[in-house]
Amino acid sequence: MESTILSLAHGFSVALAPANAWYAFLGCLVGTLVGVLPGIGPLAGISILLPVTFGLNATQAIIMLAGIYYGSQYGGSTTSILMRIPGEASSVMTCIDGYAMAKKGRAGAALCIAAVGSWVGGTVGVLVLTVVAPPLAQIAVSFGPPEYTALLVLGLIFLAYMSSSSLIRTLLMACLGLLLGMIGIDNMTGHFRYSFDLAELGDGIGIVPVAVGLFGLGEILSTPSSGAVKDIVSPRLRDLLPTGKEWNEAALPIARGTVLGFIIGIIPGSAHIISSFLSYAIERRVSKHPKEFGKGAVAGVAGPETANNAASTGAFVPLLALGIPTSPITAVLIGALMIHGVSVGPMLVNEHPDVFWGFVASMYVGNLMLLVLNLPLVSLFVTVLRIPYAYLYPLIIMFCIIGVYEVNNSIVDVWIMLIMGVVGYALRKFDFDPAPLVLGLVIAPILEQSLRQSLIMSNGNYLIFFSRPISLGLMLVSIGLLALAANAFVLKRADWRARLAEAETGETER
Amino acid sequence: MPNARKTQSTPSAACRDDVSYHRSLAWAGLELSVNLEGCLMTLRADHVTGAFFIGFGVLVLALSGDLPTGNLSMPGSGFMPKIVAVLTIFFGVVLAVRAGESKIFATLSWNDAKHAGLVVGITAAAVALFEWLGFLATNALLILTLLVVIERRPLLPAAVYSIGVVAITYVLFVYILKTPLQAGPLGF
Repeated sequence: MESTILSLAHGFSVALAPANAWYAFLGCLVGTLVGVLPGIGPLAGISILLPVTFGLNATQAIIMLAGIYYGSQYGGSTTSILMRIPGEASSVMTCIDGYAMAKKGRAGAALCIAAVGSWVGGTVGVLVLTVVAPPLAQIAVSFGPPEYTALLVLGLIFLAYMSSSSLIRTLLMACLGLLLGMIGIDNMTGHFRYSFDLAELGDGIGIVPVAVGLFGLGEILSTPSSGAVKDIVSPRLRDLLPTGKEWNEAALPIARGTVLGFIIGIIPGSAHIISSFLSYAIERRVSKHPKEFGKGAVAGVAGPETANNAASTGAFVPLLALGIPTSPITAVLIGALMIHGVSVGPMLVNEHPDVFWGFVASMYVGNLMLLVLNLPLVSLFVTVLRIPYAYLYPLIIMFCIIGVYEVNNSIVDVWIMLIMGVVGYALRKFDFDPAPLVLGLVIAPILEQSLRQSLIMSNGNYLIFFSRPISLGLMLVSIGLLALAANAFVLKRADWRARLAEAETGETER
Repeated sequence: MPNARKTQSTPSAACRDDVSYHRSLAWAGLELSVNLEGCLMTLRADHVTGAFFIGFGVLVLALSGDLPTGNLSMPGSGFMPKIVAVLTIFFGVVLAVRAGESKIFATLSWNDAKHAGLVVGITAAAVALFEWLGFLATNALLILTLLVVIERRPLLPAAVYSIGVVAITYVLFVYILKTPLQAGPLGF
């Protein structure tokens, strides 16, 4: 514990160096803008701005990109509360009661509660990360291919199970992502797979063109400028402070959201989205006044906003300790570190203590910056929303092209981004969530390699996944989740996920 | 029109009428609440997507023909893709079989398709020109075309805006962030 505190102190000396603090601030500011602007989520934002970090060192790059990530979680709440438009997917639940509060003249209080909840969730999450990640990294050194395989399989199944829309749709998207992730040279045998004699496809399809295409361009294609909504509720600064009653109503949801968000964040999948949906469901379930949900319940804002920020922090645990990306966003962060010659995984804490501890400490600083940024400057961020969408989206398309091209200086990547934009548009039409596709793409190389290595190790015996304690535990959890999902699927029984989806649909359409 | 089925003698004709009627509503961007019960065969969204994924899985298997599958103790490069392709086909079949829960295909709203098609076309042209014309010229043209052709903005303000934002972005990336951008025939 003492060494952790000493290391954290060293991290603060790195994070508070003027240049690093400046990049943390820049990341938080850009992240807030990314969260505020509809149509450009954290994944597209980070991917587009990845080339900007090429001139920085590894510590500054990860500090800035992570700032964009958790900054967007803060910013997403602003449009949800003031316009009823989720700036990004994890803010969907905040729309319901946040906008209802705004309509009742409590927009300032809703923004304040969302900001404080986000800060608590983020900061407590970093505290736990500080304590948990280093020892977990020590345990992770003993992870072999079977454990990695079991963990990634659990991640995919958990994502499918938690999807409130459809198990089959999620699994199909994951399969599509896995297949895309297998394009290029097979690392173990050197065979070219599905590259159609294009040298650029030899290294496979990158995460950035796929993510920017699906989430950036795809969103623009689905949003004609005539459909952009401009009904903005403007909060007054003097109304920002919630009343004592509102603080009381927010306290327990913030506490529950912190714990729930962090735990879900550790598990692979679109954690920040799932955690906000689950938190809303739990708050409504435990509330003494469930009928107030949808009409401006404070808990409906405090819980989900806290949970999505805690989950964003929790997602860094497997990233830093195991080197496993639990979401497309953390995968892009791994890519950013690899560009700077830093390998993420159990050895990171020992080999690059400046990067590890500087990054952890910067998250404390960044969360404080976001609290300061988001409350007094909320009117400024709202001003950005007044830019006509017709002028905004051509700019976003330009940044999509730059962001994708600059990573590898490859025009093929830009074509892939364009194709993925069309795919993203079609997926939205047919009610498919593209996030599992990107996750499949991200984990495909690790999953394939660890599965094949496991089988080689065991001479083709599948029981290797059930003969080692950690992989056995992970596989049992996977089987349990599959059994629960199959039970609801085959019997067409509406379990808690279906009921939650119905409630969400009803309330978001209200 | 929703009562047309009552006056039609054959269900298939009623279906055809209802579907074309609802398709026209969908193009107009109107909210739909339809009941096409009684139709002999109603094509639903998941029939189409299920068929697509089955076809995609079959295509992957066909393309994997020359990849060695290996065996369990030494899996080859075709091992994992073939497993995932078979899973894709399986899930595609399940999706198509349970398509009754999905929307009727003809009622899907495509009123944003024209906007999407134009954006894709203009962006594709810009991508094709990007390495020849460079960052400045291509993106200024891209933004100008999007504003004038799709958004019907006046030419002069659109030109000022497009040149302005592209120039600012160029300065930001090249001089402040020290990130070189694709040069054009004139070297910038």
